[in-house]
Amino acid sequence: MVALVIALALFFDFTNGFHDTANAMATPIATGAIKPKTAVALAAVLNLVGAFLSTEVAKTVSGGIIKEGSDGIQITPDIIFAGLMGAILWNMITWLKGLPSSSSHALFGGLIGAAIAGIGIHSVNFESLMQKVILPAIFAPVIAGGVAYVCTRLAYALTSRHDPETGSKLTQKRGGFRTGQIFTSSLVALAHGTNDAQKTMGIITLVLIAAGTQQPGSGPQFWVIAACAFAIAIGTYAGGWRIIRTMGSGLTDVKPAQGFAAEASTASAILASSHLGFALSTTQVASGSVIGSGLGRKGTSVRWGTAGRIAVGWLFTLPAAGIVGALTALLVKTGVVGVVIAAVAGTGAVLFMFVQSRKSHVGHHNAVEVEEAGQAVRFRKKKALAASRAHKLNGGNK
Amino acid sequence: MKWLELVQVAGATLLAAVTVVVLYSVGVRFTAIAGDSEQATPRWMKSLAYACFGLCGLAVLFGLYLIIPYFSK
Repeated sequence: MVALVIALALFFDFTNGFHDTANAMATPIATGAIKPKTAVALAAVLNLVGAFLSTEVAKTVSGGIIKEGSDGIQITPDIIFAGLMGAILWNMITWLKGLPSSSSHALFGGLIGAAIAGIGIHSVNFESLMQKVILPAIFAPVIAGGVAYVCTRLAYALTSRHDPETGSKLTQKRGGFRTGQIFTSSLVALAHGTNDAQKTMGIITLVLIAAGTQQPGSGPQFWVIAACAFAIAIGTYAGGWRIIRTMGSGLTDVKPAQGFAAEASTASAILASSHLGFALSTTQVASGSVIGSGLGRKGTSVRWGTAGRIAVGWLFTLPAAGIVGALTALLVKTGVVGVVIAAVAGTGAVLFMFVQSRKSHVGHHNAVEVEEAGQAVRFRKKKALAASRAHKLNGGNK
Repeated sequence: MKWLELVQVAGATLLAAVTVVVLYSVGVRFTAIAGDSEQATPRWMKSLAYACFGLCGLAVLFGLYLIIPYFSK
């Protein structure tokens, strides 16, 4: 059972990775700052590094949402197995639909559902749930969106150039932001590694403690850290192209300066929140930033239909993963046969969704229509225009 | 309720993001000015741009320094 749970936890880490590649890399891919394949490779490496950097989050993963410990309820590997099942299935469904949804919420939802079905409703600490999951879920996109809005405005205001005499627009020369995007998106990937790989480490450590192979209260062992780091890195490299499409071009058209501002806000929000102990979901922060930066740039429209679809997905994350978790917990309760049925059904569902996804393949080649070519032409035109204007001016002076 | 922490997170996020974006934007602007070929642009414009990018990088590194427990302990 322990081995099964660890395998499942690592698979969850993998889905987490490819689900969240979009958070870091959707905007630079959309603006053509980095080539799609290079982008996911970069994100994978940074996730790997990030996972090794800090294990602070891993120590507080279940965070008291399920009352555990000597005076509370003992979490068994069964419950964790059921919870992971719920989280993985929900991650796969949202990926198939191309919705960026929070992997950590799916995990919490699954665990809560499994705990309610397996132990009883009294096992869940609702006050802690409200404080640690639901309120941050509301504030994460608001904070990130607000900051991204301000930053986008600032970035455009500071770099907008007008001819001092005629007041006509000069060439804006904002190409520098495209280079900057490489760094900001790297930061987001790094932050994601320090955050999300930790959750799986925490889960595996929890299982090991529950199984009695590890001292309670000790941190994750090295092989756990390494395994999680690699699982999330491989997942990231696999790339959730469907979600990248939604984040990169579904919400709003992203331009380099705007993408730079959005990523700077995302990275700051994730790092600040996880450091100050008020964990925000990476996905929600990133989606909020993209929308905020879309509002901040003049002449862009935010596709509220897509935003609405994402928000609905968020609403369903906790209950849906919870229901799957609860069903699995009930199955597992019946004994070994139940565990086998749950494992087979889960694998079947994952395979089915994978086969479904092949029908309309979204890969690195068609995830986002990169405007690179079009922009290059447009830039040249502008330059050519400016050159001809200068030429005329010179000619007129002579 | 952890309102104080919420405000802290919002404030820190805003401060960090604005610092990075402002420094980088100013850098981009100076680069743009330095790149104008029509007028004789002062040489120091370019160095000013690099100074901005450098400061921006330093701000990011300082942020990382604060966050990674290995350094702050």
